[in-house]
Amino acid sequence: MYLSVRVDKEKCIGCKICITSCPEPNVFIFLPEQKLVEVNESRCKACGLCTTVCAKEALKIG
Amino acid sequence: MSKKIITPVASLAHILPEDYRDLVEKGPHGKSVGIKDLGSFKEITEEHPHCAGCGVSLGVRLALAALPAPEDTLVVGTPGCSFFALSQTAVNYSNTAFGNQNSVASGLKRMLSIRYPDKDKDVVVMAGDGGIADIGLDMTLHSWFRGEKISTIMLDNEVYGNTGGQESGMSPEGQVLHMAPKGKNFKKIPVFEMARTAGCVYGARVTIASPKRLGRAVNRAILLARELGPTYVQIYTPCPTNMKFSPADTIRIAKEAGSTHYAFEEFMTEEAALRIAVMEGEQGKIQD
Ligand code: SF4
Ligand code: SF4
Ligand code: SF4
Repeated sequence: MYLSVRVDKEKCIGCKICITSCPEPNVFIFLPEQKLVEVNESRCKACGLCTTVCAKEALKIG
Repeated sequence: MSKKIITPVASLAHILPEDYRDLVEKGPHGKSVGIKDLGSFKEITEEHPHCAGCGVSLGVRLALAALPAPEDTLVVGTPGCSFFALSQTAVNYSNTAFGNQNSVASGLKRMLSIRYPDKDKDVVVMAGDGGIADIGLDMTLHSWFRGEKISTIMLDNEVYGNTGGQESGMSPEGQVLHMAPKGKNFKKIPVFEMARTAGCVYGARVTIASPKRLGRAVNRAILLARELGPTYVQIYTPCPTNMKFSPADTIRIAKEAGSTHYAFEEFMTEEAALRIAVMEGEQGKIQD
């Protein structure tokens, strides 16, 4: 994908709301130790849905 | 049957595709995981060709994550947008001629009960509004009248998505669509109410904007169908492509529907309510 969502690790609080809002499988991976999410960029379709549900504005399409 | 069915032969493990190894190592098979654990286990669905922001694909993803025993589940679908993701799903899946899914599922459930008398094999229909409410309505209703022990999950996007936006029986009255430019003339078919009348022991109406509630409804429906009879879950899965809203707004649209015509509702027989109390009490104990 040319565009993908990216996570601002400073802002993410690991609430997991983005994970259950993404229509694509296996895009978000939850890192329990760090309590934040990571993105598998090759699976993201850049729909922007997760960016609208993240209350911490930790996600950006770029 | 042993859950080790998906354990690869050690000497061949290195030549298996990465996705398969991932599923074996991190998949939900044989574990007690659900929607709350998404992101920490390999999901059952693989990449799929749904449009960006598709509500149906999110519905499929959440419903699959709520299967109580994916290794012992057979999903039966029918053509439509729903089957794009389902046919690429690492769970036993059978497609049918359009609308036949509840008949095929009935037969498969009966066959599995004979073949595996001591094992719970869940048969779950997952299909769109076209397959269930339009061409397959008679077969769906008859499976309920007969008391087949299957769960039916409708992914209701209120339109024929993959054929360009014709009105479906489930489109709301007045809905303007690509191929219904003057708006639909008829009411949405009350399949949820029909499920109750036709003999489903449990029914729930939810939207993809409430993933935990959706997961609980799917889980309850499948466990109750194992023991008591047919169950039904109707999930609102809006389609950005045909409803012409931005893919980024799918959850907002689903939330809004949740406060109008898609308000959460559940029905259950008395027997089902007692069973739920026992099942969820036991699950609580296991989690503690
Ligand atoms: S919704 Fe935002 S804050 Fe919550 S886990 Fe996702 S990126 Fe982090
Ligand atoms: S932009 Fe869309 S596809 Fe990409 S991670 Fe967010 S919700 Fe998923
Ligand atoms: S047409 Fe609609 S329902 Fe079908 S894949 Fe595209 S967004 Fe999803």
